[in-house]
Amino acid sequence: MTDSNFKEKSVALWNRFAKTVKTHPHAQFFIFGLVMVMLGYFSSVGVFPSFYLSVFAYIIIYTLVALGLNLLLGFSGLISLASSSFIGVGALGTGVFLNLGLPFELAAALAIVSAAGIGALIGLLSSKISGIYLAISTLFIAEILRQIFTSVDIFGGERLDIGTVKLLGFIELSRNSRAERFYLYAIMAIVLALMMMVVYNIIKSRSGRAFMGISRSENSAAAMGISPLKYRVMAFTVATFFAAVAGVLYALYFQDAPTRQWGLLQSLTIIAIVVVGGFKSIYGMFFGAVIIHGMSELFLKDWLGNVSSVFSGILLIVVILFYPQGIAHVWIDLKKLYYKLKTRKKKDVINDES
Amino acid sequence: MYGGLVSFSGVNTVGNFLNILFNSLQTGSTYALAALAIVLIFRTSKTTNFAQGSIGTLNAYVAALVLSSWGWSIWAVAIVSMVTAFLTGVLIDTFIIRPAAKVNKIAKQIITLGLIMIITGISPYLFGVDPYQLPRFIPQGGMEILGSSLKYNTIFIVLISLFFMGAIFWFIQKTKWGLAIRVTASNEVTSKLMGVPTKTVTMMSWATAAMLGTLAAIIVAPAGSVNPNMMFNVQVSAFFAGVFGGFQTFYGPVLAAFIIAFARNTTVFYLTDIWGDVLVYMIILVFLFFKPYGIFGKPPVKKV
Amino acid sequence: MSHDDYVLKLDNVTMRFGGLTAVNGLSFSIKPREIVGLIGPNGAGKTTVFNCVTQFYDTYEGTISFKVDDAITNLKDRKVTEVIDLGIARTFQNIELVPDLSILDNIMIGAHNTFKTGIVQHIFRTPKARAEEKAVREKAIEALKFMHIDHLKDQFAGGQPYGVQKKIEIARTLMSDPKLIILDEPAAGLNDSETDELETLIYRIRDEYDASVLLIEHDMGFVMEICDRVCAINFGQFLAMDTPKNIQNHPDVQEAYLGKED
Repeated sequence: MTDSNFKEKSVALWNRFAKTVKTHPHAQFFIFGLVMVMLGYFSSVGVFPSFYLSVFAYIIIYTLVALGLNLLLGFSGLISLASSSFIGVGALGTGVFLNLGLPFELAAALAIVSAAGIGALIGLLSSKISGIYLAISTLFIAEILRQIFTSVDIFGGERLDIGTVKLLGFIELSRNSRAERFYLYAIMAIVLALMMMVVYNIIKSRSGRAFMGISRSENSAAAMGISPLKYRVMAFTVATFFAAVAGVLYALYFQDAPTRQWGLLQSLTIIAIVVVGGFKSIYGMFFGAVIIHGMSELFLKDWLGNVSSVFSGILLIVVILFYPQGIAHVWIDLKKLYYKLKTRKKKDVINDES
Repeated sequence: MYGGLVSFSGVNTVGNFLNILFNSLQTGSTYALAALAIVLIFRTSKTTNFAQGSIGTLNAYVAALVLSSWGWSIWAVAIVSMVTAFLTGVLIDTFIIRPAAKVNKIAKQIITLGLIMIITGISPYLFGVDPYQLPRFIPQGGMEILGSSLKYNTIFIVLISLFFMGAIFWFIQKTKWGLAIRVTASNEVTSKLMGVPTKTVTMMSWATAAMLGTLAAIIVAPAGSVNPNMMFNVQVSAFFAGVFGGFQTFYGPVLAAFIIAFARNTTVFYLTDIWGDVLVYMIILVFLFFKPYGIFGKPPVKKV
Repeated sequence: MSHDDYVLKLDNVTMRFGGLTAVNGLSFSIKPREIVGLIGPNGAGKTTVFNCVTQFYDTYEGTISFKVDDAITNLKDRKVTEVIDLGIARTFQNIELVPDLSILDNIMIGAHNTFKTGIVQHIFRTPKARAEEKAVREKAIEALKFMHIDHLKDQFAGGQPYGVQKKIEIARTLMSDPKLIILDEPAAGLNDSETDELETLIYRIRDEYDASVLLIEHDMGFVMEICDRVCAINFGQFLAMDTPKNIQNHPDVQEAYLGKED
């Protein structure tokens, strides 16, 4: 008796939850943000080991870049091998402008705008250059940026020290205390939740449909008035924007900006996150980041030590071979299976009753 | 970049120019080997092999290990590593690339990233963490030409690279299997329908690419040590050569590799160190904007 | 409606690809609310004509004019992406739908050019953006109802049967309120009942959307049934343009390819 009562109640609760999400789809991201903040809180008070907080921070950063790259790769069918470099632009740019005495918010904004500007230029390049040639062109850009980061003096050689950040002019947050690190992390989680809403809004709008239109067939898209060049520029700009924001968050949380970290290997890792997580999926990016970065940092390193890299590589290959659509599609397949079972159960009931 | 291979005399401009030329021929050879490997796999296996450098490094490690453990000569271990490279290529194609044939293009490229991770992770366990050294083929000696210094090793490297690549070009153009490669490269589906053994073709491509990459690694190694990152520069330059020369031909990227090596050495010597590279890259980007399929590339025909 | 009235007029249009002349001095016109069929053997240049009209090829010789409400536009003055603004919408021989989007979303892409809001407004979901989205959504549902597939609106366009996909493509053209709809082999691959349904739909499109229809088709029975006039070409050159009955009996056309009718 109580068993079916419980079942009824939980089904009712789930239905109410699903309905809320349907009418207010942004609520889900709000909840996601809350969950992320809670995870950070648990690390902060000792439920998880305290180094988990940095791992979560990295996951947020990777998810954010992947979200932007997803718009480029998953929706518009364009590839960038420079994602990591643009995180660098965000982080180092913030550092440079902070050193010039600007307030944090302004420094961040300038860094992001610079990144988006370069992104727009890449988009313009794509008016003539396509396919593998465009992909390697982004590698050219990445290499140019790498040379600039490591050689130009204002980037400090090895790294730029950022130190305590001052937000809104008066909130000072350093990395010295657990509480402060938690607040920095919480800010990151909130930014991620907001950016997820941004991606959601883009996807569900005419712009999102246009991105998908040009990825499928530029000719039919053009015939419908979608300018492939305009949307390619937009896609690259948005992608670099997201990467730069991730870079700003890096500067915010880690309070320094290295010059040698932003290379091809990391850019490939971010592409892997998009592929493993699932094209066109928002949560997929999070899962991809968890699998590719989180798992190796949090668990595999303990068990396998340095072989964690091997495991990540194998995991990556296995996922692609068996789930080339990405983890997000496992969820969709599960949903389809659920509906199949539900309708079959209904059929059985009908057959029984007839 | 020079690794003490050539010496400069400040006043001797002809000598300097020749030094740059000889050095470019050597560096260009490593870029060309890697570029040929990349375009070979790109055209037959339809994959961008990001793990090209790692595979070369892996087999260079094998060579270094054999050399340090059993005292064989560099020539002997080079041959050993060619064999292991061949096997590596076959294994990778059979167990990883072939099963992924139906996967979308982007995902296929990411698989090669997985390869990098595996190789990078496994190396310390197979070879330990101490760096290895590989000696030059011809350890010393050279000649003076018009004030420049040309090492015998450099001559050998350029000759062996050209020979290797020449053999491959001859093979591709003149033999039946070469025809199979060319046909698979232009259209795999049609080739399969016409009975071309595309599976063997891709396997051979991966094996050959692995050998090319290993040869490049063995050439590069003496300048520093055998370490996981030693091929990064060559790898990136190989991609640039592929795009600059155009992926439509096999010879395009090879020629472009030498051009890039020469351009970089020249700008770095006559201008400044870092900005020389940046300048060359920017010029290539601008060039690509006007010739988006490379020097020797042709645009594919549009059909609606 | 004067006798010289037209919605589309081709004047001595020639299109060359290197040594190959795909269209050679072609002239014909389409009247408002007329259904015109363009027929010819394979390789006669029909799709090339379409691509010239929609400015996918803009290096043709001659003039293609589009007339709506007494405003005449030389189409060469316009880019590919502007043609739909003028009122010309088209379908493609290979169905170009986005498989990962729902049918409804695919149709809504057809109204892309009618939107006034941009990506920034979409990001912030301004009231204007939301209102536009809602209006286009409703219009899309109407278009789907028109084509009798509104019950499928939330399904993925990818897995749909061929006949449904063709309907989706046609519904998509209706979204921009076109004055000329260009259909590239709309009946290809359809069975008899689907072809009948297509006939009725095209008549209704002409009547309710007040549009002309230009179509390429190989199904001669369909063409002769539905078209007011038929333009026959061969090797890119004009053969004849007349009512279906007269075209059927035209000696040049018969000689070129009419062959057996089903």
